[in-house]
Amino acid sequence: MSFSGADGALILNDPATQLSRTGDAPAPTLTGYASTNDIVVKVHPVVLFSVLDHYLRRPEGQVRVIGTLLGKVNANVVEVTNSFAVPHQEKNDEVAVGKDFNKQMLALSGLVNGQERIVGWYATTFDGAQVVDNSSLIHEFFTTECESPVHIVVDTSLASDTIGCRAYISSPLEIAGEALANVFHQVQVQLESSEAERICIDRMVKGQAGGVLTPDGIASVDSEAVSLESSMTRLLAMLEAASAFVDKVVAGEVPGDAQVGRKIADTLAVVPRMRPEAFAKMFDGNLQDLLMVSYLSSLTRTQLAIAEKLAI
Amino acid sequence: MSGAWGAPAPERAAMKELPLIKEVHMDGLAVLKIIKHCTEALPGMVAGSLLGLDQSATLEVTHSFPLPSAKKEADTGGEGGVGLARPADELSNLSGQDYQMEMMKMLREVNVDNNCVGWYQSMYLGSFCTQTLVDNQYTYQENLSDNAVVVLYDPVQTARGQLTLKAYRLSKEFMRAYRERKSDHIKPSEILDELPIRIRNPGLVNALVYDLQGRGGAGSAECDFERLDLSTNPYLEKNLEFLCGWVDDLANEQWKFQAYTRTLLKQRHDAARWADRRKKANDERRAAGDEPLPDDEAHDRRPDAPNRMESLLISTQISAYCSQINRFTGSSFEKLFLAGSLQREAT
Repeated sequence: MSFSGADGALILNDPATQLSRTGDAPAPTLTGYASTNDIVVKVHPVVLFSVLDHYLRRPEGQVRVIGTLLGKVNANVVEVTNSFAVPHQEKNDEVAVGKDFNKQMLALSGLVNGQERIVGWYATTFDGAQVVDNSSLIHEFFTTECESPVHIVVDTSLASDTIGCRAYISSPLEIAGEALANVFHQVQVQLESSEAERICIDRMVKGQAGGVLTPDGIASVDSEAVSLESSMTRLLAMLEAASAFVDKVVAGEVPGDAQVGRKIADTLAVVPRMRPEAFAKMFDGNLQDLLMVSYLSSLTRTQLAIAEKLAI
Repeated sequence: MSGAWGAPAPERAAMKELPLIKEVHMDGLAVLKIIKHCTEALPGMVAGSLLGLDQSATLEVTHSFPLPSAKKEADTGGEGGVGLARPADELSNLSGQDYQMEMMKMLREVNVDNNCVGWYQSMYLGSFCTQTLVDNQYTYQENLSDNAVVVLYDPVQTARGQLTLKAYRLSKEFMRAYRERKSDHIKPSEILDELPIRIRNPGLVNALVYDLQGRGGAGSAECDFERLDLSTNPYLEKNLEFLCGWVDDLANEQWKFQAYTRTLLKQRHDAARWADRRKKANDERRAAGDEPLPDDEAHDRRPDAPNRMESLLISTQISAYCSQINRFTGSSFEKLFLAGSLQREAT
């Protein structure tokens, strides 16, 4: 079977007739790994956000959305750092993928960050199913773009309790040396985020009123004082929990756990023990530094305010 | 708030007067993309575009995309064309404007809000008030809408555990003065309006955030405890260094002003003398019945007034640094006392 699409769309053939692959010579490949258990896919939260956003904006009547994943491949680890949406259409057995769009978007993204290359593609669930027949056709297209693309499926059907994210690698199923079909093996997915991303997500969660997530909640970008306060409260809560536990063990209410006890002892040992005079000296020194800087900055501000009044 | 507007200047009468926004609501996706772009481009500073919609009192930013930096060939770091080699493409010669148009066309195909509402820029330790920023923002506000904002993200400060994201807009007094090239006096504190930013997510994304929080519970703990870091000196040193630099600049500007006032005084003196002479000549002429000469000819040798803009910007930046330092010392005091109390308990 062959499908024809409008201009700019890709014509996809039945996998059985497509045996040759155009390899991308300089790119590191995953095909050297015999067992798919070795491959780990690390996904950044920005990719998931972008997939969901694309899903929410899909055109009327479209059940699922697809797009390209960008990132880098390092030995057996695929790190997915960016993605963009690709328009496509599916009708029964026909699939049309915006190939020109893909190329154009890739070029534009390359201008900004030349390090990222295509590592795979994503899709959302199709009527609850993770991988459908059409997926393998789209997968074939992506094999022309990169070696051994990773296929990520984000579960948007909300059938289970989580918005799951699964990754697949496809390999051909050969019988008597002839490739008949593609089999998708699931591989391990890890969520990896840089420090700043974690802080941002933390803000999204904590910033909502009452610290509880609501569907329409709006998080505010708080001042430093407020977040510091919450950090300290957290620390205090943890200390109190540990202390309560120790008290209970001493009173005999709860059986002591040697591991936990050792960990608590280690943590307490981390607090540096100094002679009171040495500590007081350091403390006062720091305090004086801060006071001096604070004084200087207030002085500067006063100066500026006066200058404003003098209209120059 | 729309009632506070006076009559629009003639050339802007065609534009409908828009109510000014009071808040900026950003989608989590836009924020994450900004963070990713700015962090990847460190130590360079980068910029990009914001897409969204403005409605009544809030500006909703739903998407953002990075713009390629100007000096691409000189880059050897993350933004150099090392990976995807497409040098022959016509795209590599796109100017910023064209890139933006291309990108927006692409995004429209996938139903993203195709409405540019502002731009974002990364800043280093809070230094942002430069002429380029003001010029850019002015162009945006003039050509796009009064509600165009510039969002500033500070990757260095965020690394300390505090998400530093600010939105600014030029105040209307400043816009008016800039447009008419008047050197009206404007207070440095009044050239920029700061708008509060809130992060919002559509429902499905909120579910994801909930998931992430549940799954990566340890992740948020780290953010909490990074904030309790006690090393204050490097940060303070950097800030003070910048402050000193800017104060030096301000001193320069003031010296220029003084020189200007001196020359101006001298000019006035000369003009007064000239006017006297002219008046005497006119009196004589009137006595003789001739037509009097104009006695208010403009002098064509007026010294150029030094640009007030520079000193305005410098003052704004200095006060920004000062508030930053104040906030920082405030929280450092708290952390110091916390550490102190731990010590006292341990001993």
